Amino acid sequence: MSDRIFGGIGLMLSLLYIWRATLIPDSFMSDAVGPRAFPYGIAAVMALASIWFLIKPDPEPEWPRLGRLAEIGFAALVMIAYAQLLPELGFVISTAFAAAYLTWRLGSSPLQSVLIGVGTSLGIYAIFHLVLGLSLARGPLGF
Amino acid sequence: MTTTFRRGLIAAALLGTAPAALMAQDFTPENPECIAPANPGGGWDFTCRQVGKTLQDLDLIPSTMQVVNLAGGGGGVAFAEVVNKRKDDNDLIVAASSATATRLAQNAYPGNTMDQVRWLGSVGADYGVIAVSADSEVQDLPQLMEMIKNDPTSISIGGGSAVGGWDHLKVLIAAQEAGIEDVRGVKYIAFDGGGEAVTQLLGGSLQAFTGDLSESTGFIESGDIRVLAVLAPERLAGEFSEIPTAKEQGIDAVGANWRGFYGPGEMSDAAYDYWSGAIDQLYSSEEWQAIMEANGLAPLDLQGEEFQAFVQESVNEITELSKEIGIIQ
Amino acid sequence: MELLASLGDGFAVALTWQNLGLALMGCFLGTIMGALPGLGPSNGVAILIPLAFTLGLGATPSLILLTSVYYGAMYGGRISSILLNIPGDEPAMMTCLDGYPMARNGRAGEALALSGVASFVGAFFATWGLVLLAPQLVKVALLFGPAEYFALFALAFMTLGGVSSTNQAKSAFAAALGLGLAMVGVDTQTGVPRFTFGEVHLYDGIDFLVAIVGLFALSEVFIFLEHRGTDKDASTAPKLDIGRITPSWKVLKSCTPTMIRTTILGFIAGVLPGAGASLGSFISYSMEKKLVDRDNTFGTGDPRGVAAPEAGNNAAAGGALVPMLALGVPGSGTTAVLLAVLLSLNITPGPLLFTQNPDVVWGLIAALFIGNFMLLAMNIPMVGLFVRVLMVPPRILMPIVAMVSFVGIYGISGSSFDLMVMIAFGVAGWLLRKLDVPLVPVILGTLLGNAMEVNMRRAVTIADGDYSVLFGSWLTLALWAVAIVGFVLPIFVGGVVKARMRGAAEREAAITD
Repeated sequence: MSDRIFGGIGLMLSLLYIWRATLIPDSFMSDAVGPRAFPYGIAAVMALASIWFLIKPDPEPEWPRLGRLAEIGFAALVMIAYAQLLPELGFVISTAFAAAYLTWRLGSSPLQSVLIGVGTSLGIYAIFHLVLGLSLARGPLGF
Repeated sequence: MTTTFRRGLIAAALLGTAPAALMAQDFTPENPECIAPANPGGGWDFTCRQVGKTLQDLDLIPSTMQVVNLAGGGGGVAFAEVVNKRKDDNDLIVAASSATATRLAQNAYPGNTMDQVRWLGSVGADYGVIAVSADSEVQDLPQLMEMIKNDPTSISIGGGSAVGGWDHLKVLIAAQEAGIEDVRGVKYIAFDGGGEAVTQLLGGSLQAFTGDLSESTGFIESGDIRVLAVLAPERLAGEFSEIPTAKEQGIDAVGANWRGFYGPGEMSDAAYDYWSGAIDQLYSSEEWQAIMEANGLAPLDLQGEEFQAFVQESVNEITELSKEIGIIQ
Repeated sequence: MELLASLGDGFAVALTWQNLGLALMGCFLGTIMGALPGLGPSNGVAILIPLAFTLGLGATPSLILLTSVYYGAMYGGRISSILLNIPGDEPAMMTCLDGYPMARNGRAGEALALSGVASFVGAFFATWGLVLLAPQLVKVALLFGPAEYFALFALAFMTLGGVSSTNQAKSAFAAALGLGLAMVGVDTQTGVPRFTFGEVHLYDGIDFLVAIVGLFALSEVFIFLEHRGTDKDASTAPKLDIGRITPSWKVLKSCTPTMIRTTILGFIAGVLPGAGASLGSFISYSMEKKLVDRDNTFGTGDPRGVAAPEAGNNAAAGGALVPMLALGVPGSGTTAVLLAVLLSLNITPGPLLFTQNPDVVWGLIAALFIGNFMLLAMNIPMVGLFVRVLMVPPRILMPIVAMVSFVGIYGISGSSFDLMVMIAFGVAGWLLRKLDVPLVPVILGTLLGNAMEVNMRRAVTIADGDYSVLFGSWLTLALWAVAIVGFVLPIFVGGVVKARMRGAAEREAAITD
């Protein structure tokens, strides 16, 4: 069943892709092939593969229970929050939070997680910023 | 000290009549920062790093210039960031070039225009060249243009920028000056960088090449390619003085890829004067002259208001040309 | 021998304490940066440019430092591929396919050591190739026009079928997905934006590093989250055996022909500007699989599947220096950065470089030899140290991997948007892995999609719309012939099905013994 759903989504994705490709504006000058031909070809391959999944699905993969799906969803949300807050809070603080959360969810005790989170953050800061000179996000506190 | 008076001083400094060290003592950046609107290793990145280093070597800035890479949208991401979030940051400068002006002129930075930032100064220019491979039968620029006029499909010209980009525009300017009616018929093939285009020229896939002088010097010296024309107002100094200009062949086309900086739009006047003054002093230093020579950069010494006017003019010219050709409506 | 005399002069330049120290430092930093996901060779080199400038180094020492970083990163990429199933950089992607299974089978140390040797072989002979063949090889690079490049990329995609999945349709889907993502951005041939939804951040397209880090590293984190506390939890599983930390002679011997073939193949891919190390390691792996994988053990921890891409990508790294030095044309992202460094040091690479700046060229080549030996000497004893990474419990290791990935991407592009794209790739990667869709074709698509399309369009445009140009030279015909006879026909002839069944039986045998 999963493969059938996947095939359906894939088919929709390829149709969406073709639709977006038709919207590519014309340029003031065009080469002989044009900007749309290749995307059409790609979408065709994708659609054929998707139809194949519909007809001949693989055996069902083992999906996690709902709780675990939520776990993955939350981790993704934390990462998104991290990406957004990085420029606001600065590197060290936001990284410590994100690393501590992931460590906790992967099975460390809360206290351990905080320590590991802070340690990870400071360690990365030292290596990447102080040694390698990469410009990481500077928060209100300057780090 | 009024603003007008200080600007007068800058103008005087530009003319070389006032000691430059006098300027702008009322502002010094605490954390000088240069945004390179591209990944590390590109042209803008190098502009930031080399200028930053030289400024520090000359003691024109108090501490190390921090170079921040902010890539995306051909410089559009950095431009939007400066306009929206860093508009009154006095410690910030951003690397720019003709590509910036071209994209501004063609509205390729959606919603942004050149007057949203303050243009500080240039640190040199790289003149365009049009070249063919050494064994080509084409001897000069008018001959090439004549061949394009007779049969546009017979000549494939390769260059390192996308269609509508600077390398492409240079050919179109020349074609227009040569009297080709519909310049859109000129067959331009875009490559990822001038080097790749030259390789295809040598391999025989292309008949002509358009690029900057600095990216073709190695092949000029080895005799693998023949430069038909340099798109400079007059002949260059030094080893390239033998290359004829397009102008002297009757095709009045000039194309300079300048490199320079802009700052945030609400930068204070004191900071503006400080940075344009610093770039001016940098430009006239021996250290920078040596770097320019090393990088094949030709002189383009414009700072402050003059540079602002220069960028305005080049944006206007590119806008007009792009409209004529049909790149923008 | 004039050549040997020049090389001798080169060693005289390179063998100073300062240069040896720089080479050592470069090799070490390069290995680390190569191993960290998100920092590949090109960014590694770019990050260290300011260091070279700050130290006030001259042309030759700067180059020695930076090329050591380059070679070091090519070595380092394999470490995280083998230990974590996360490629440290894009050419190391193929090393995951057999390196990680080897590690799971308790042969992590052997895989690391073997890949170190393979890297050395590839890089060593590629450097000799650079010395002996550079002028001739330039002519090979000139043979490749747009049509030839298109055929070459098409060949790469056609070999995909055999590489990474048992279900060809899923490989095809993955490749189409990658190619589709590669289309995002401003189309260079017409200047119009495609699939950008008006978002400026997408105008330059999607950085394949963002894709690779998201698909491999973040999805790995999600997998760990999913399995925590279940019987699939790697952290509670019995400790992995690390195994011996030197490869046995038997394994080395069985891999020698593989290393020789893939070195040659990788080197040629490197020499072609516009092909590069990733294509080198990919083609090396898929060709080698085609050639020697009779029992279908590739993909299950076959040592040859580790040796092939490593020899291939390191040979390609050396090969990519040929067009950079001899033509001034970068054959890869890293050599583009090196080229910019050369220019800023007042050295114009190009046909005259070997005569104008012999001290720079030969000093550099000598430094490559030295750096290569250093890397071998550094990498083999350190295998014992590297494998200790596996002893770190995943609950600590995986967050570090995730954070390092974020830092690598943010530090280079400075944009939260790229991080969001990366997270999206992470979630997509997890889904695709659940559905048994291989990730390698996705990366290959994003990596090569643009070049493939653009070269096809260049060729047809130059020929004024005549598509027959794509088959118009002996070289294109040869490439198409290899692609079709070697890889496409077998799929339809049905030999694959038989091989697959045999492979499945083998795999079960491998698990039980």
